[in-house]
Amino acid sequence: MDAQRPRWQPLQRIRRLLQRNADPNLARIKRRKALYALIGRRIAVLRLSLFFAGYIWMLAIPSSQLDRGVYFDENAMQPAQVNTYWSWKEVHDADRFLDQLELLRDSNATSEQRSQFIANEFRKIGLAASTQSYEFTGVNKGINGSNAYAILSSPRISGVEAMVISASWISRTNEGDGTLNLRGVATVLALSKFLKQYSLWAKDLVFIISDGYMDGMQAFLSAYHGQTQSNLRAQALELTSGVIWTALNIDYPGHSLSHLGIFHEGPNGRLPNQDLLNSFQHIARRTGVPVVLYDHRDDLEYLHWLPENIRNHREIRTYFTQARNLWRHIGYQASGRGSGVHGLFHQYRIDAFTMFALPAAGPHGFHSLGRIIESTLRTTNNLLERLHASFFFYILTNSDRFVKIGNYLPSAILISVAMMFGGLQVWVEAAWAKGPQEEAKTPGAAPMTWVKRRRPILEVLFIMVFTHLFGAMVFFIMSSETYSYFQLAPFLLFLAAYALPLTIPAITPQKRSEAIAPLSLVLKAFNLCLSSTVISIITVLNFSLAACLAVALGIPLSTASSSSTKAVQMVKYSTYVVLGLGWILLRGFAERMIWNWDVLSAWLLPFLCIVYFPLTLQVALVCII
Amino acid sequence: MRFLPLLFPLALFSYTLASQQHTNNWAVLVCSSRYWFNYRHMANALGMYRTVKRLGIPDSNIILMLADDAACNDRNKFSGSVYANPGRHLDLYGDNIEVDYRGYEVTVENFLRLLTGRLEDSVPRSKRLLTDSNSNIFIYLTGHGGNEFLKFQDNEEVSAHDIADAFHQMYQGGRYKEIFFMVDTCQANSMYSKFYSPNILATGSSVVGENSYSHENDYDIGVAVIDSYTHYILEYMEKVNKTSRLTMADLFTSYDVPKIGSHPGVRSDLFSRPLGPQHPMASYGRGHGWKVEGEWTGREQEPYKRDREALITDFFGGVVSVDVEGECESDDFSYRPASEEISKPSPPSFNPSLSSHPKSSSRSYFDSFPFLRASLAFFLLGLLFAFAFGGRISRR
Repeated sequence: MDAQRPRWQPLQRIRRLLQRNADPNLARIKRRKALYALIGRRIAVLRLSLFFAGYIWMLAIPSSQLDRGVYFDENAMQPAQVNTYWSWKEVHDADRFLDQLELLRDSNATSEQRSQFIANEFRKIGLAASTQSYEFTGVNKGINGSNAYAILSSPRISGVEAMVISASWISRTNEGDGTLNLRGVATVLALSKFLKQYSLWAKDLVFIISDGYMDGMQAFLSAYHGQTQSNLRAQALELTSGVIWTALNIDYPGHSLSHLGIFHEGPNGRLPNQDLLNSFQHIARRTGVPVVLYDHRDDLEYLHWLPENIRNHREIRTYFTQARNLWRHIGYQASGRGSGVHGLFHQYRIDAFTMFALPAAGPHGFHSLGRIIESTLRTTNNLLERLHASFFFYILTNSDRFVKIGNYLPSAILISVAMMFGGLQVWVEAAWAKGPQEEAKTPGAAPMTWVKRRRPILEVLFIMVFTHLFGAMVFFIMSSETYSYFQLAPFLLFLAAYALPLTIPAITPQKRSEAIAPLSLVLKAFNLCLSSTVISIITVLNFSLAACLAVALGIPLSTASSSSTKAVQMVKYSTYVVLGLGWILLRGFAERMIWNWDVLSAWLLPFLCIVYFPLTLQVALVCII
Repeated sequence: MRFLPLLFPLALFSYTLASQQHTNNWAVLVCSSRYWFNYRHMANALGMYRTVKRLGIPDSNIILMLADDAACNDRNKFSGSVYANPGRHLDLYGDNIEVDYRGYEVTVENFLRLLTGRLEDSVPRSKRLLTDSNSNIFIYLTGHGGNEFLKFQDNEEVSAHDIADAFHQMYQGGRYKEIFFMVDTCQANSMYSKFYSPNILATGSSVVGENSYSHENDYDIGVAVIDSYTHYILEYMEKVNKTSRLTMADLFTSYDVPKIGSHPGVRSDLFSRPLGPQHPMASYGRGHGWKVEGEWTGREQEPYKRDREALITDFFGGVVSVDVEGECESDDFSYRPASEEISKPSPPSFNPSLSSHPKSSSRSYFDSFPFLRASLAFFLLGLLFAFAFGGRISRR
């Protein structure tokens, strides 16, 4: 039928083009050449448009055009299909537990006493309970504590799988500023008493009250999974259960709650399966408690400078609300630390999140929270396999909306492609020089012509390897014990890292023949290609980090060039070194990163030192060689 | 041994006689999906089980296949029970349940072997479909399906062609008289679209491209407890008792599309008997709630069918009125290996479009001239006696 219809004009032209050549291979080669020539001619426009598209795309991620509503993918979960029986009696239990916990707090009980008390309460309920003490050595010597935990074996089936209900002693308020999570702990205690009445658990229930904010759970999970951490001395667990599939972390620092906030980011960019979050928010809504992402209430005070009618426009409001969520998300994900205790579970392929009770005067409390947790546990109890159906790669822009991987990934990839094109362009440029024509036989011909020249690959590779080794050295200095003792250490390290590479131009031969390309060009080409590759790879591991890299490296690396005057060279060099290593002078930031690496094994510190800083150092060297 | 030639016409005669009415009822009830969240499929099959048992099919004639044990699932708050309604008034898993195939025994292979009778010698009688050419079989399938397939156990499927071929083998092997095929799954009507053997009446819960929906949840059990189509079938069947004269047309016209949520279908073009009185069935699939007409395949043939109306109790429940005249050697349960008779499952000689005068070769003569049956019987019996006595006398 379609054979009779006139074809689309360009298609026909292409077809004719193809038919003219009898040899298809020849045609293919010609096509390829034509394409390359086109790219070569338009490379500047192409790069610019790729950068432009990439950055615009990044800015568009929070808009409501790219996201969609969440939905369930796992049939087995059946969220919000059960009657809940958590009632005022259980609320009363929780209140009594809270009274006792407050007594402990007021009497300045030690970790040991606290965990003993909690384990005893578990035993009184009739559960197998125990405590686990732990201590970090090395850089963070002071961190120690004692976890309490209890296991409710599934009544009718062998406990090969387990679900965790946990609360950390210190709440996540302001990323663990010391606010106690007393109500969260009381909720877990009351829940353990309440859930024991049921015989329908198909999985073991593990109740964990971890000490500290993140450190206690890190110690517990390391011991549970037999993971050894060189700077952690954790007592072996007396009681163990099966493979943990899901974990709910309860954080209830205030007196009452108005909203429940979802915190879901794990360390090093890991995210839990979206089905878990979706079913939780579905259940919470059904129960009548509004759900928000993070601890944002829906007020955008920072927009007050905008005119009223623009500020209240639906699309604008959505954009800014979602942009704020995205900003939080990037902060948590890129830092590699995650957004709370739940993140530690992700290391062991356990889907977990924190339900954060936003402190408020009301109207909700233990009653709603307990019912939501009961229903959520019934849902996770229904699981037959690990959560696998829904999404692992997503950006939640709101509690009930998300961006699929295909709608956010290209933004960083486009920038990385632009960088790759830039690198290849420089690589090609390095091979050619405008030189005088060797044998000008005809006097009328052009006096200048393109001359091919050698590209010094080996030297450049040496320089690059050196920069990465140098970065590794910086990393080992930063993660050493002595580094944190000296107040001036960051400053000295920065100076050293600034000054030492300055010797490189002295070592490298300055004067070279015209037949060899300048080192800086080849170095730049390699640097751009490597950065582009790094960004592309990181996008799927940790998109937020990749987006940050794309922003930090994209334009700066592409615009680097050597200059003739020494002063301009030094200014450029300094700028790039500050871009690459300036963060170690930010005391709080660097300290937190060292802590994250040391205690939680977050990869951001080694990544910045061994990958990111060397990349900027290479481009800094491009300017001075 | 000279009587042997006599036995053949006798057997043939008895075969044709027996076609008047079935002498035994069988039911094959299959829930093909496992897992706790498919509780409702177990409940569907158990609901049917209860109904056919109540209407008189004994456990020995019911093959119940349950792919999972919802009653003893560790997530079941009411362990040992399966309920099909939110109030949990009736425990379908009561005290007298015989599950013939359970758990991982419910496979496509076992299902097809059961139908065609190709089972190992070691398989007990309770797991065999010991039907003969006088058996009416009710076959009920439920589970997750799609266009022309039904999923078994989350790892294999039976296709509509498989079932159609199995039925044809059964037909050729003389393993049924009539089959009533009911299926409740998504796109269920596609499951019977490939049948080509005679005397099969089929109905399904939903047209192609349409889901079959669950009916109700029990919020203590925490899952949907029954599917909509099966729920309304069972609800209707509560009106039926062992002596009921309700016809299949009554059952089919009770389908209420807005309530069920999907468009059930009927296929009667292979079935030679009328479904019931013309007036209610004539409007089947038309009017309120029906999206498209045509969910009844065989509407055109229906006015030309001249026979006994198909009663619900023909398939559900025991034999109420046995035609004594036709009662013959039906005790031969042993299966004749199909390979001896059937070279291959050839396309059917039976052409549905020609069945405006539904005359299958084995029955037409006597249907038109019923008085012949008695006289022929007397004639043959007389001949037999004469022969036997003649032989004895001559030997003396």
